[in-house]
Order: sequence, then C-alpha cells, then structure tokens
Amino acid sequence: MGEIGRLSQLIIPFFGHDITINLKVVVMTWLVFGLLIVLGLFARHKRNILPRPIQALGELIVSILYNLTEDALGKELAQKYGPLVCALFMFLLLSNWLGIIPHLEEPTRDLNTTFGLGLIGFIIAHYAGIKTKGFKAYSKEYFQPIFFMMPLNLIGELAKIVSISFRLFGNILGGSIIILVVSYLTFNLLLPPVLYAFFGLFVGTIQAFVFTMLTVVYISVQVK
Amino acid sequence: MGFEVETVIKIAAYSGGGIAMGLGAIGAAVGQGYTAARANLAVSRNPKISGDIFKNMLVGQAIAESASIFALVITILLLFVSPPSPSLLDAAAYLGAGLCMGFGAVGSGIGAGNPGGESCFGISQQPQAGSQLTTNMLIGSAVCQTPAIFSMVVALMLIFIKFGGAPLTPTWAALVGAGLSTGLAAIGSGYGGGLAAGASCEGIARTPQAVTNVTTLMLIGQAVAQTPSIFGLLISFILMFKSFPESSLLMTPMGLLGAGLCMGFGGIGPGIGNGMAAEGAVRWVARNVEHTNDLMRIMLVGQAVSQSTAIYSMVISLVLIFVV
Repeated sequence: MGEIGRLSQLIIPFFGHDITINLKVVVMTWLVFGLLIVLGLFARHKRNILPRPIQALGELIVSILYNLTEDALGKELAQKYGPLVCALFMFLLLSNWLGIIPHLEEPTRDLNTTFGLGLIGFIIAHYAGIKTKGFKAYSKEYFQPIFFMMPLNLIGELAKIVSISFRLFGNILGGSIIILVVSYLTFNLLLPPVLYAFFGLFVGTIQAFVFTMLTVVYISVQVK
Repeated sequence: MGFEVETVIKIAAYSGGGIAMGLGAIGAAVGQGYTAARANLAVSRNPKISGDIFKNMLVGQAIAESASIFALVITILLLFVSPPSPSLLDAAAYLGAGLCMGFGAVGSGIGAGNPGGESCFGISQQPQAGSQLTTNMLIGSAVCQTPAIFSMVVALMLIFIKFGGAPLTPTWAALVGAGLSTGLAAIGSGYGGGLAAGASCEGIARTPQAVTNVTTLMLIGQAVAQTPSIFGLLISFILMFKSFPESSLLMTPMGLLGAGLCMGFGGIGPGIGNGMAAEGAVRWVARNVEHTNDLMRIMLVGQAVSQSTAIYSMVISLVLIFVV
C-alpha cells in the first residue's frame, strides 16, 4: 500500500538547485499528445463528403464543442476560442481515460498538469477581458463594490485557479486511490472493473467537461 | 497515564471508526428517505408507470447510498489497521480520518437524495422523458458524491501515509485539523450540489427539449458549489504535507487545529448557498431557455459573492498555518 503518495522523480542538480521532473507524468502527457495527433491525422486523412467513421467522429466532437462555445461566447469570439476549447476537452478526456489501461497513469493525477491548465485558462480569460473592455474598465471591476474590497476580490479571482485545478486533480487522484485500496482489499476480484468504469470513464468524462466549460465560462464572465 | 502506544492507537482507531460510520449513516438515510417519499407521491399521481418509478427510485437510492459505503470502507480499514511502526501520530491520523469521512458523508448523502426524488416525480409527470431523467439523475448525483470522495481521499491518506518521522507536538493537531477541514467543508458542498441536481431533474421533466442547457448549467453550478470543499481539501493537503518545527507550546497545535476548524465550518454555508443559487438558475433555465446566458451570468456572480465567506475562512486558515 506504499504506492499512495509515491512519485517517480528525476532530480537534476543545477548550479546548487535541484530541478525535479515527474518522469511518469511527462511520459504519459506525451503519450496523450501522440494519441491526439494520430487521431487528428486519421480524422483528416482522405476527407470526403461521405465521411468515414473516424472523420464523422472528429466532426461530431468538434461541432458539439464549437456549438457549446458559441452559446457561451457568441459567434465572433467562438471562432477565436473554439479550437482552444476543443483541444482542451480532448486532451483532458484522453488523459482521464488513460488510467483504465493497465500500467498507464492519468497525467491529470498530478497537480502540476491541472494547475498548469488552470493557469492557462486564467491568463487567457484575463487577456480576453483586457482586450475587449480595455484596461481601465477591466481594472475598475476589482474595486467593486467599494475600493477596499480590492485585496479580497483579487484573492477571489486567484482562488478560481485553485478551485478549478484541485477539482480535477482531486477527482482523478481520488478515483485512482480508491481503486488502489479497493483492489487491495478485494484481492483484485469483481469490484475493480466496475470502479474503473465509474471513476475512469464516467467521472473522467464529466470532469473533463466541467473543466472545459468552466474555462469557457471564466472567459465569458471576463468578456461581458 | 499508563497507556502504551499500541493501546492509544487502538483507542483512536476504534473511536475514529465509530465516528466515521455513525456520522456517515446520517446523510444517506435521509437522502434515501426523501427519494422514497417523492417516489410514493409520483406513484400516486401516475400509478400506471409504477414499475418505472420503482426502478428509478432504487437506482437513485443506490447512488445516494455510496457516501455511507465510503464511510463503511474507511471504518473497516480503521478497525483492522495495524501500523508497522506504531507512533502516537498514527493515533491522531486515525482519529482525523474517522472525523473526515464521517462528516464528509453527511452532505453528499442528503444531497444525492434530491435528484433521485425529483427524477421519480418527474417521470410521473413526463413519462416519455424517463430515460433522459434517469441519465441526468445519474450524472447529477454522481457529481454530488465528489465532496464525499474528497473526504475519503483525505481519510485514506491519513490512514496509509506514514507520518512517523514528524515531531509529535504540532503535527498531531495538523492531522486532526486536516480531517476536520475536508470533512466539515464537504457537508455544505454535498448538499448544495444535490439542490442543483434536483432542480435540473425537475426542469427536464418540465421542458424535455432544454435538456442540454439544463444539464450543462447544472454541472457548472455544482462545480462552483463544490469550491468550498476544494478549499477544505487544499487546507488539508497543506496541513498534512507541510513539515512543522517542533514546539512545546500549546499555542502552535491549537492554531493548526483552529485552521482546520475554521476552513471546515466556513465551508458549510457557502456550499449550501452556492447550491441554492445553482438551484434557482437551473430551475428557471428550464422555463426560459432563451435566457440561459443571462441566468448563468447572474448565477455565477451571485455564487462568487456567496463564496467570499469561504474565501475569508481560507485566508484566516492560511494565516493561522503560516503566520501565527
């Protein structure tokens, strides 16, 4: 049971400082990148009016996500942020599903991955806000309702990154810890496949969707 | 005080297990009762499809039960756990794990009963939307369980991670505080998530064609309602993994315990409040689909304001941990 809280790390000494790389997470992230690129190439390969199954799948994913973005952001901004939303969702979906394959681990189980993605969404949302409203109107919002609420508004805004990244991280890590413990207690009989289906496929899909939608919503709150 | 270390650990593990299962039994039972009550009402409205309603009720109750099954797993672990190198910190960790799981299961259990009941009632009103309602109920009540899952994760970490090397005096309080922080904060978020899920089932029964908007808004609302429990999780992680210097003062451990309690209690209200905001928005999206965007924006702003008290608690907890 010692696996809980253990990481395979590569520690490189660098002029007196240690650079720590979570090896497994990096490998798994690149695996997801590879799978996504292969899927994309296959979906594009021999495009036709009559789509082959994999092209139809690609068109389905893109059109659903694009429509969701358009509902929240409007037509003009959706063209700009649609690709980001599609990429984010598909990366998260494949990452969360990766854990159901033996010996592979979800990259989203590491806080660094989810925190990084949360930070990307945060920066993009605020960039979009400054760009559409102008810096003056943007910064004015922090002094609502009274000027001395500024520090708390700022903390509230930063807490969004914490909440969005810990939500995904906690769900995925929690699922894998529960699977680990239950498998150990039941000697890998009967229950683990059901748990993999629930935590890996079901919760993974929902959390990928929630993360993506929250990123879109954060952008739309800043823009409007 | 002639207790041996092993005896103290056993005392803590048994009382932790008792607390976990005892408190953990509260929520799920209330939630299941609510589901059954709504199912009875539904059958009396529309007796012809009592079979469908009955099946839906059982599925809903089974999901509401999962929070107390988590508590059962933790209790069984606590009853039979024996640390390889016993230290007094294990006792604190076991007590913390029990408190965490016990409190954490309350909210999710009560909350998950809500979508179950509303979907039973919805099926009686709108039988042809039955499969959509059941799917939505499954998603909604599964997301309700997230705070209970967070509590279970913290409880499992407290049970299985070895804290033996850390100095006893402030660390025991940090471990108990870690349990209380996630456990208490999960109460509000679990119940709040249930309110949103219940409203979405009611809404889909009213306007089945609005199912996409309603489900999307429900997920966003629930996600924001869970934020207080995520803050609780953050404080727990800090309390578990930060190494505190040894001190003989009573002040330091009490500060850490206070940090856990502050975040835990502070998270209850915002969780329920955010859930109410989400409930209102989801309910009215079903009646007024064209204005989904306005409703969503108002919901998010309202939730952000209601959340500010959770943020105050988090700030005070962080001050208690890092400054005092």
